[in-house]
Amino acid sequence: MTPMLDQIWFPISITFRIAAISSFLVLCSGVFLAYIFARRDFRGKELAELLITLPLILPPTVIGYFLVILLGKNGFIGQLIYSITGTGIMFTWQAGVIAAYTVSLPLMVRTAQAAIEAVDKELEYAAYILGKSEIETAFLITLPLAKRGILAGLVLSFARAVGEFGATLMLSGNIPGKTNTMSISIYSAFQAGNNELANVLVLVLTLMSLISIALTGKIASRGKSKV
Amino acid sequence: MSIKVNIRKCYHEAGSSKKSGAKKAFMLNVSFEMENELIVLFGPSGSGKTTLFKCISGITEPDDGNITVDSKVYYDKKIKTNLPIQKRNLGYVFQSSTLFPHMDVRKNIECGLKNWNKESREKRLMEMLSLLHIEELEKRHPSQLSGGQKQRVALARALAPEPELLLLDEPFSALDKEIKTELIEKIKNLQHELKIPLLFITHNLEEVFMLADRVLVLHGGKVQQFGTLDEIFYHPKNLHVAKLIGLSNLFDDARVVGHDEISRSTILMSGDMKIRVPSLKLNPGDMVSWGVHPENITFLPPGHEDQDKNIYMAHVVSIINKGPKKKITVNLARHHKTLTAEVPAQFVDSLKLNAGDSCLVKLEISKIVTF
Repeated sequence: MTPMLDQIWFPISITFRIAAISSFLVLCSGVFLAYIFARRDFRGKELAELLITLPLILPPTVIGYFLVILLGKNGFIGQLIYSITGTGIMFTWQAGVIAAYTVSLPLMVRTAQAAIEAVDKELEYAAYILGKSEIETAFLITLPLAKRGILAGLVLSFARAVGEFGATLMLSGNIPGKTNTMSISIYSAFQAGNNELANVLVLVLTLMSLISIALTGKIASRGKSKV
Repeated sequence: MSIKVNIRKCYHEAGSSKKSGAKKAFMLNVSFEMENELIVLFGPSGSGKTTLFKCISGITEPDDGNITVDSKVYYDKKIKTNLPIQKRNLGYVFQSSTLFPHMDVRKNIECGLKNWNKESREKRLMEMLSLLHIEELEKRHPSQLSGGQKQRVALARALAPEPELLLLDEPFSALDKEIKTELIEKIKNLQHELKIPLLFITHNLEEVFMLADRVLVLHGGKVQQFGTLDEIFYHPKNLHVAKLIGLSNLFDDARVVGHDEISRSTILMSGDMKIRVPSLKLNPGDMVSWGVHPENITFLPPGHEDQDKNIYMAHVVSIINKGPKKKITVNLARHHKTLTAEVPAQFVDSLKLNAGDSCLVKLEISKIVTF
């Protein structure tokens, strides 16, 4: 039994689509949150940091359960989506994006926050004194200087989104040709005794992980040699 | 151009909140006025110099008071005005280099010129590069610059937007002496040339001498004295100032015993030592502190003590070589007092002074400092 090309190709393409969209959202919102956490003090900041970090340590099934409660037909957000689009989000690949986003956001926020905190505040003051607004300063000084941390966070988030299994399975299920990502396909192929398919997908994921590690390592070492 | 500063700022112990009425850890309470001049803020670390700069520049908001530059109100508690940093037109050079590391020298300087049109921006950039003699550094990144070059660029960047006030926070403290001296001369000339008010922070006495029109002495968050170099050096108002200006021979045990109208001097008894000092408006019995700068103690060949001329018998305790000068510590054996003097080396050699020798020291009446 040779796996059909489509059986291999679909999981790969849906996984990359989910991971790419999720990583883009993580980049925009994660860097924003990281900047706010690093440079602002407000009430409830610790609680907000805690909530965003939580998915890092919660079992993926628990995250999936929470998301189901929020996004399901009876959930607060689920109802909202239903009232706007007339259809539910559960068991769609978009739900997979939400799952991937939730689990990979803390990786971005943590890494980027540390990088932003490491930027000398006097550089920002110097920019303010030269007439730059806070937003100009963030884009001109702070974020460029925290670039390495942000890039590392992006690679980690992407890798995490690609490998996401538990929460995705609970939220978007395992619908062949619709929501079966690589991790999920490996699991079901293995269950069904389709080792050829499992082997191919395992190989792709392993290679990807190796590349991510090499990439983060390279980003880190390039930074060191620059300083 | 006139600048008025009158501010208070409290810092509380870490971990205590303002509401609990916790003990104040530090209180800055400063008030002064300046014109187009160079004023050196002089004080030990922790005296509030940098905090004052942060309040003037808007990085920190004071608790109370007001800051005005010409007719522009930077801060006024009463009318609830606190101009954002970006709207205060001042130049600031920090102690450590704050050049943006990912931009070259040109981009760094251009940072403050965003509202200038292309032509005038280019012209201004060239002016700044030539003013600070850094034309050849235009394309370099900060990591390719020496410490002195970095601070030149920082100065160019601060001056480029034509600030109405320049704040320099120990900008040269990390530099070699030669480069530091050169840059200090540059600052002094720039101030005369550009005629802008300039505040310069230092805790280094040498820099005070080289730079100051006037000196503002800060200690413990308060202005101890504000005056010309001469006033600070020869008429320190209190012990803090006296210590800061390097007056190492200090005695607080003196009492006025009389006045000598002929020599226009006041006679003090410091312990059992009789000493004449420049005439004081004090009554007999009043307590007074006196001191003498190490440079103002002279050595005479052995002879007789003459307390009416401030000449005393002394034993040399030690002689330390300090390059062109020697630091001599002497004991006034009969008065249980120790003095340190700084004397040109060749003078010590000609007197053939050695540790353990007896000699005479003279404290020049006119050079004795009292407060």
